[in-house]
Amino acid sequence: MIKNYLRIGAIGLIAAAAMTSCSDEQQFVDYNAQAKKVDVQVLNSELAKVRDYVPLYAVIAHRGSTYWTPEETEASWRWARDMGADYLESDLQATKDGVVLSLHDDNLKRTTNIQSVFSDQVPDIRRAFYRSLTYEDGTPCNFTEADINEQYNNDLGNYYSYYPRNYYYAELLMLDAGSWFNEDNLEQARASFASTNNPLQETLDAWKADKNAQVVYTNGLYISALADQIAYAEGKKLNRDAQGRRILPYHVKNSLKGKSLVEICSAAPSTEVEGTTWTAQARYMDFLVYDFSNAYVADDKDSGNRPGIYIEFKESWAQPKDMEARVYKELDKWGWNIITKPESNTQFYKNGKVNVGNTNGKVILQSFSFDATNRAFQVFKGRVPFCYLLWTSYPGDYATDIKYDTPTGVAAFIKTMQDHGCHIIGPAISGAPNNYPEMNCPWQAYMVRRAGMINHPYSFDSQAQITKHMGYWNYGWETEFDDLMKVTIKKTPYSVFPGDSQTWPIYMDGCFTNHTEMNLQYMIDNGMRCNSQLPNPFHPGQNFDNSQAPSTVPNAVELLNNLGY
Amino acid sequence: MKSYKYILMSALAAFSLSATAQDFDSDPTLNIDNKEKQVKFTVGARFMADAAYYHTSFTPLQSGAAITDARIRTSMSYGENWYFYADFGFGNGKFSQKNIYLQYSTKGDDFTHAIKAGYYNDPAGSMARQTSLGSYHFISRAGMSNAIGAGRALGVTYKAYNDNLFLYQGIFTENQYNKIDAGFNGLTVAGRWLYRDITGNDKWHVGASARFAHLGGGETMVTKGSSVLKKTFSMGQTLETFVDEDEQFVGCELPWANNVIDLGAEALYLNNKFFARAEYKHRIVTKERDSYKIYIAQQDNIDGWGDIELWENANKIKTNHFNGAYVEAGYQIFGGGYKYDKHDAVLKGNDGKALEVVARFNYTALNNLTEGEYFNAGRGNYYAAGWMEDWPGTGATSVGGGDIYSTTVGVNYSFNKYAQVMLNYTWHNLKKDFLPYDKNFHQVQARVQFTF
Repeated sequence: MIKNYLRIGAIGLIAAAAMTSCSDEQQFVDYNAQAKKVDVQVLNSELAKVRDYVPLYAVIAHRGSTYWTPEETEASWRWARDMGADYLESDLQATKDGVVLSLHDDNLKRTTNIQSVFSDQVPDIRRAFYRSLTYEDGTPCNFTEADINEQYNNDLGNYYSYYPRNYYYAELLMLDAGSWFNEDNLEQARASFASTNNPLQETLDAWKADKNAQVVYTNGLYISALADQIAYAEGKKLNRDAQGRRILPYHVKNSLKGKSLVEICSAAPSTEVEGTTWTAQARYMDFLVYDFSNAYVADDKDSGNRPGIYIEFKESWAQPKDMEARVYKELDKWGWNIITKPESNTQFYKNGKVNVGNTNGKVILQSFSFDATNRAFQVFKGRVPFCYLLWTSYPGDYATDIKYDTPTGVAAFIKTMQDHGCHIIGPAISGAPNNYPEMNCPWQAYMVRRAGMINHPYSFDSQAQITKHMGYWNYGWETEFDDLMKVTIKKTPYSVFPGDSQTWPIYMDGCFTNHTEMNLQYMIDNGMRCNSQLPNPFHPGQNFDNSQAPSTVPNAVELLNNLGY
Repeated sequence: MKSYKYILMSALAAFSLSATAQDFDSDPTLNIDNKEKQVKFTVGARFMADAAYYHTSFTPLQSGAAITDARIRTSMSYGENWYFYADFGFGNGKFSQKNIYLQYSTKGDDFTHAIKAGYYNDPAGSMARQTSLGSYHFISRAGMSNAIGAGRALGVTYKAYNDNLFLYQGIFTENQYNKIDAGFNGLTVAGRWLYRDITGNDKWHVGASARFAHLGGGETMVTKGSSVLKKTFSMGQTLETFVDEDEQFVGCELPWANNVIDLGAEALYLNNKFFARAEYKHRIVTKERDSYKIYIAQQDNIDGWGDIELWENANKIKTNHFNGAYVEAGYQIFGGGYKYDKHDAVLKGNDGKALEVVARFNYTALNNLTEGEYFNAGRGNYYAAGWMEDWPGTGATSVGGGDIYSTTVGVNYSFNKYAQVMLNYTWHNLKKDFLPYDKNFHQVQARVQFTF
């Protein structure tokens, strides 16, 4: 009898185990479920305070504009400013003489005519350039030929194909940063984007007449300095001479009198910030002073918008090791460092104009680089809004990728980035023409929201991407993320949706865009701008007021015409 | 007629003494006995079907049922000394090569001597892996025996044993098929040495094992025209289950591995009603890399590496240490009693109607962390600096294969010598940096097993 019970019991147990094992819910990894389950570190109060410097639903003009104008040039940023963007976005690199550039590519081939000006080597004019230099007081430097030759060999040893760090800023100002755009974008091409002079020939001619003459700049669009970008945000434009060339004289620092080029080169430049000294590699030579005192004039086409700037620290190994400290100083120099010069104004929009550039949200730092983020944290200490940009090339693996773009991986990145002074996460989004990986799925946006961090996806190129991330992803169907992501927006005098309000999920808090005009119009139409009663996701129960933002969006082509392009 | 009977009985007795069959081959269903030519041929089969239900704290496991083992075995004995054995598996719908070997054995005055050649378990692979799963008292072997133990290999061994000593050693290759991309088929020497008393009702043994494996095979890593042999050693275990054999929870890959040294200790005690056994293993994996060639090949990027010292600091390698242990015990409520296999120095399986309860604790430590290093689960990397760095490299040496602690209780019922059902419950506790939310796993497993 016992035997029979045992047999029946054993078989029954096995059958029960087999049958109860068939529940579907545990058969696969569900990121949506995991995103709600994992521990997500929440921004602390100090970082949250800095987060609130940034306006909700900010429109970030990616490189000014990549669609309508040559990127990161005077044309792109004047256009973006007058269009009504909240931020002018750029990438930071340094020249050989330490000038902080706003330039995206790590070499100059795509966005300038460098290959038709300089050989793929140290410029042939480099020795003549050294011979031409004068001190700030106007006296010629008269470096010896032996010194010049030795320094030229140093330059050769440090040369990397067309990288900006090979060149002095004055040399880069000989390059045309606009004509390439006309060749690549026939529909948006404009003759005014291209230069009309021959700076190299004109420079050689000038040296024949005066060996201490300054190099002749192009009369078109330039590789920009960070100082230029700030000037455009302040409503200025370049001061140009009668021939259309910018006015920017340069000299060797008087303090270096008596030193040879080789001695200057061997002394690694350094930058001190709040008692900490940051030292660059010795190949950088901070020996030239550019006189910006007459570099800009008020822009007669200024719309009155005062956007902020959104500047990116690039791959750390390709930049001077004091890059973040240099940027701190550069912002300080132009009155844009809110640590040394905090703003009292808190209105992001004023009288129908963008006013972000006059608030503590005027500068947002960003990076893909762990090293740059870490150094920026040591320099800025989380006191300036900082966005960490996410990228994945899985199954490939780049050093700064989030290789495991899973709830566990995202949670780990969120924690690390908060621990390094970040307030914003910038995920890539999919879609033509870039076809980036989609890193702003609802579960990912939800995790960023749970962390109390701002979400700035990049980069919007189409209406399809805009609608997807700003309301239409789920086409009204309920999701498990609605508790934090669904927003009820009341109609405004400028909104076009039917009824008094619309409730939908918005998977972003701002966006990098190559079509500022498109994003602005969508947001105005859907009540996300020009609205005094926007629910503030970071302060439940409170409203965010952007009712004084510009309510009309200029026509992109007409604006370019009006700007003189 | 009587004389034939005596001859047959004598021959069988001789086979049982000298041609030492594996435990699970001891009583196959089909026996062909040609006494005239002194040949005995057997064919047998084994079948295991498991059902498992898993409850996990984060990453799901796939509950369900599966044919986890289906095996056909055959053996042939010739005279008093020769024994050939081969078996082939079809579990999980895949054909797999199992044991195949030829053994010559002879009984001397003091020792029985056996020389064995073919493809079979490494002597130092672990006591658990010397024991056939068909004779095991749990649904799976202890996890550490799979993670840190070694399995079958192609080789030759010499064994000498009596009631007090068991001396087993041999030499093996790394890969039975020589299907390696580059390098040569590595070499292993291994041994298991026991002192025992197996003459009375209380039987026991204690002993040690050691294994040295020089890895020879790997892949050719071509970097900008420069070729380097990269040898990678993998370790891992499932969660002591066959229905979902996911090894992501406890496992690691060790690039640039060169030598693997295993040291082990074991003990076994049994009487008619009770058995207990324990095993500890420590594994050392040494590394070797042609750093210079790789360094030179990487000199064409934007910054280069300055000097090889910088490169090596960014790409450190270190000798790794891992260990694991288990304790198993069983109590037979009724049945024929526990038996000791003196030829292989392992516990035999139940061979008749029996009911037993069993329990096991296992730990496997595949975390070999370096103090001060930071791990990020989004990168899947450790960083020597204590935070994430882009360049020059992580510089980290930690291995986060996972530490797991597993506790199992079970009950086994054998209907007869052919059929058995088993039921196990296991709780695993995992510590693994890459899977920070996978802390606890609960699993109930059941097995139906037939052996003919």
